[in-house]
Amino acid sequence: MITVKSILRLRNVTVRYGNGRHGGLVAISKVSLDIMPGQVVGIVGKSGCGKTTLLKVIAGLIKPVEGEVIFNGDEFDGSHRRVGMLFQSPLLLPWRTVLRNILLPIEIAGEDVNKYVGRALELVERVGLKGFENSYPWELSGGMQQRVALCRALIHKPLLLLLDEPFSALDAITREDMWKLLQEIIVHEGCTTILVTHDVREAVFLSDRVVVMGGKPGTIKAEVNIPFNRPRDIRLQYSKEFNEYVSTIKELISG
Amino acid sequence: MAVNARSRIINTLIVLAVVFIAWELASLTLSIPYYILPSPSSIVLATTRYPQYLLINLLDTLTHSLIGLSIAAAFSLLLSIPLAYSEGIRDAVYPLITGFNAIPRAALVPLLALWFGLGSVPKVLTAFLIAFFPILVPTLTAMVTLEKELWELLQSFGATKSQILLKVALPRAMPYFLSSLHMGLTSAFVGTVIAEMVASDKGLGYVILSSTSRLDTPLAFSCLILLALITLIISKMLGIIERRIVKWAYRVNA
Ligand SMILES: Nc1ncnc2c1ncn2[C@@H]1O[C@H](COP(=O)(O)OP(=O)(O)OP(=O)(O)O)[C@@H](O)[C@H]1O
Ligand SMILES: [Mg+2]
Repeated sequence: MITVKSILRLRNVTVRYGNGRHGGLVAISKVSLDIMPGQVVGIVGKSGCGKTTLLKVIAGLIKPVEGEVIFNGDEFDGSHRRVGMLFQSPLLLPWRTVLRNILLPIEIAGEDVNKYVGRALELVERVGLKGFENSYPWELSGGMQQRVALCRALIHKPLLLLLDEPFSALDAITREDMWKLLQEIIVHEGCTTILVTHDVREAVFLSDRVVVMGGKPGTIKAEVNIPFNRPRDIRLQYSKEFNEYVSTIKELISG
Repeated sequence: MAVNARSRIINTLIVLAVVFIAWELASLTLSIPYYILPSPSSIVLATTRYPQYLLINLLDTLTHSLIGLSIAAAFSLLLSIPLAYSEGIRDAVYPLITGFNAIPRAALVPLLALWFGLGSVPKVLTAFLIAFFPILVPTLTAMVTLEKELWELLQSFGATKSQILLKVALPRAMPYFLSSLHMGLTSAFVGTVIAEMVASDKGLGYVILSSTSRLDTPLAFSCLILLALITLIISKMLGIIERRIVKWAYRVNA
């Protein structure tokens, strides 16, 4: 039997905010999760159940008070994280051009920016923004800005792509375009992806596995495998099977 | 837009003309003594009587104000970085700065004159001391109010605190810094003029003081108008530079 080593392993991770007299607020409690290389994992759950917190622990932005996060076989010590992040808002720097925004992580890592210009231009083309390299963020629409932010998250070839409600500020049509785009990119780049979303359809369409969180403090309540083959056609969402997954997950969230 | 701007200028000019005509007529009919309230025509006359004298003193005030302003601007930028970097430094230093700001700095001029003699140094120092605070505060505030999400995003790239400050917080604070220079400019002029009244024999502040003591009120008025004009002109020039440097700040919300 071939055992595939998980790229990310969470063991009994507990996160607490603040540590006042009342012990602070426990945001997530004893969360354990194993993620295989190349997997796309959707995370859904009611507002405030700790989805963003979970993502931040994985990114190394906050330290768990208990449990461990093992990334690529090593305990996460905060250095050498090869993660790319994408938030709900694009968070581009308005005084930098599209290209210079995408290269920001390289600049911060102190690497030779010129070596990455080629990759940046390739990413720009792949997300359909060829010709906008030298535009400024404020010259682009919200959807275009989010694509730039996606390029920035991918520039340093992350092993792990962390997405926190990345498309919830976009209109329905643009959002479906972004689903297609993200799927293409995930297949092409082969990066492991964690997608936090409120949109169950989005989670089912994009994920191999959907993790349902809930409760206060947040815990993992259930997991659903989504076995559809890739690449998935956008019309998949009209199929009966797809919609059964959607309603199952919705019930798990509210149940 | 262009038509709008032009009609706005014309409207302003009309209002100005009406004010001056009414003022002129009032001084004629009410026969107010010129040394109490000079008529516009006598102010113009005073200006044309000593053009060179006024110009030299105007340039003197202008130079000292701009030097004071530049030092205040450079100092604010340099100081805002360590202050933004560490909450500890901020907590330690900020009360001192605000405390100092609470001193009426005009009252320091005699002391400055005592320490540095009459002339340029007390003028530049007073301009600097008054202009410094209104530049530092908005710059520093902009630097320490970086959105939490942006901060976290940068940290996820592995950015250090000083990288975040220099590459993101500082450029982001530029529009606030540059617009604070307008406030700083008027403050610097106030500082210079005060110092000139107390501890100098040059500059428009000195001219105002000496002309009123001779009851040459028209000349004093002429100085006031020159000061207002030069401040407006420099402010406009700053505005043009500002729009060049931080074009993005004006486009973001366009
Ligand atoms: N910086 C913080 N300090 C204190 N408490 C926090 C902080 N961030 C989050 N919390 C709390 O932790 C809990 C989980 O928050 P989190 O942001 O992870 O939820 P979420 O599932 O992402 O919610 P949403 O779906 O609304 O984004 C919430 O109760 C929240 O109030
Ligand atoms: Mg969240």
